[in-house]
Amino acid sequence: VATVVSRVATPCAGMIDNETDIAILFHGMGTLQLKLVDVRREQPIAPQRVRIADAANRCVARRGVQKTTVDDVAREAGCSRATVYRTFPGGKEEVISAVVDTEVARLFSALAVSMGEADDIEDALVVGMVCAATAIGEHEALQYVVTNEPGALLPHLCFAPLGAVLERVCEFAVPFLARWMDPNQARRVADLATRMVLSYLATPALGIDLTNEQTTRRLVATFLMPATRSTELPNTELNTEVPNSELPNSELTGLSI
Amino acid sequence: LPEVASSRQRILEATYACIARWGIFKTTVEDAAREAGMSRASVYRHFPGGREELVAETISWEELRFFTRLYDELHDAPTLVEVLERGLPFAHRAILEHEVLQRVLETEPETLLPKLTVDVTRVTALISGFLLPYLSGDRLAPGVELREAADFLARMVLSYITSPGRWDLEDPVQVAKLVRTELLAGILAGPQR
Repeated sequence: VATVVSRVATPCAGMIDNETDIAILFHGMGTLQLKLVDVRREQPIAPQRVRIADAANRCVARRGVQKTTVDDVAREAGCSRATVYRTFPGGKEEVISAVVDTEVARLFSALAVSMGEADDIEDALVVGMVCAATAIGEHEALQYVVTNEPGALLPHLCFAPLGAVLERVCEFAVPFLARWMDPNQARRVADLATRMVLSYLATPALGIDLTNEQTTRRLVATFLMPATRSTELPNTELNTEVPNSELPNSELTGLSI
Repeated sequence: LPEVASSRQRILEATYACIARWGIFKTTVEDAAREAGMSRASVYRHFPGGREELVAETISWEELRFFTRLYDELHDAPTLVEVLERGLPFAHRAILEHEVLQRVLETEPETLLPKLTVDVTRVTALISGFLLPYLSGDRLAPGVELREAADFLARMVLSYITSPGRWDLEDPVQVAKLVRTELLAGILAGPQR
């Protein structure tokens, strides 16, 4: 346990709350536990923020973001409205943003454990992608929003704003991958892996299930590993004969109907 | 029949003009009918689902126009490397310079994006259908399945042209690197494999 904690503590630091909280992992008794510790005082800080965020998370899983009110969250957390506002002066918006931060921190913590135990780069990528896909698929609140309130989520994941998400994921993942490659290349590989996870989760492909280790390993070995090795493309392709490509008619009709 | 096609076309063009002017949320069937110089009833005859259907069909119609422009630009490219090296910057620029898309993305992303993502499967199939002939034959690395590779490429092309992240797609050196390492290193046969 001690090794795991020291190995993962650094990449997780500050994921929950940059000002006060440090996430530290305990990987014991077969379950993952996240404990918030203020290292300067070396004692557990008031878990109020996390308790309220978790209550809000359960509310969102049942009714979505739009219909969840501060009253609902207070009731679910077993505290008063005033306590919620004292902890999160920004009200509902701040509570929801705390839910996102907490859940992202949990995802990164789980990723840190699985990727930290990997023996080589292929393993690190496979377990990382399986872990992320599983966590996302099993996340009830996220799945409720994906299905019923996509307009609240997609503006963060499409077009230019995806850049910020890629930055955050890469910042987390690079220290793990950099055990086997230089940080710049690690960043590019993490970027590509993140795009793959998002794409195959958003629109599943036949025969590729990212929660399944076997199919994910095949995908990683085929498309991702070569990007970790190769610096240039063989010359043969450049002289290959011209194919005759057409915009397929069936697809055309499919789109215009 | 041509008349049906042309009035359908006129309605789509009119709806697109309304969206360009007022956005998705404020565009109504009446607006589209007035813009097209037709009655509400005629619009409903072509689009019985009303506003929702009209907006969805207009988005698909403009998507198709977008990818047809892309096809016109790229269909004479002789190799897969060239298709991607020319296509990525061109497509990315076309997205950035698409005024209506950019305006709606800025003002109504929560309305537009769920409608756009509904079409992702079709758009991916469109891109992979275009790339497929470039991959067939003996160009593939051993163990790479043709359709899966085309699908993978299409997904990543869509990802990089819409969200390049740190990649500068205006820089030919970076584009060459992106194409030859991230996208094609595992797919094309080469002497080192």
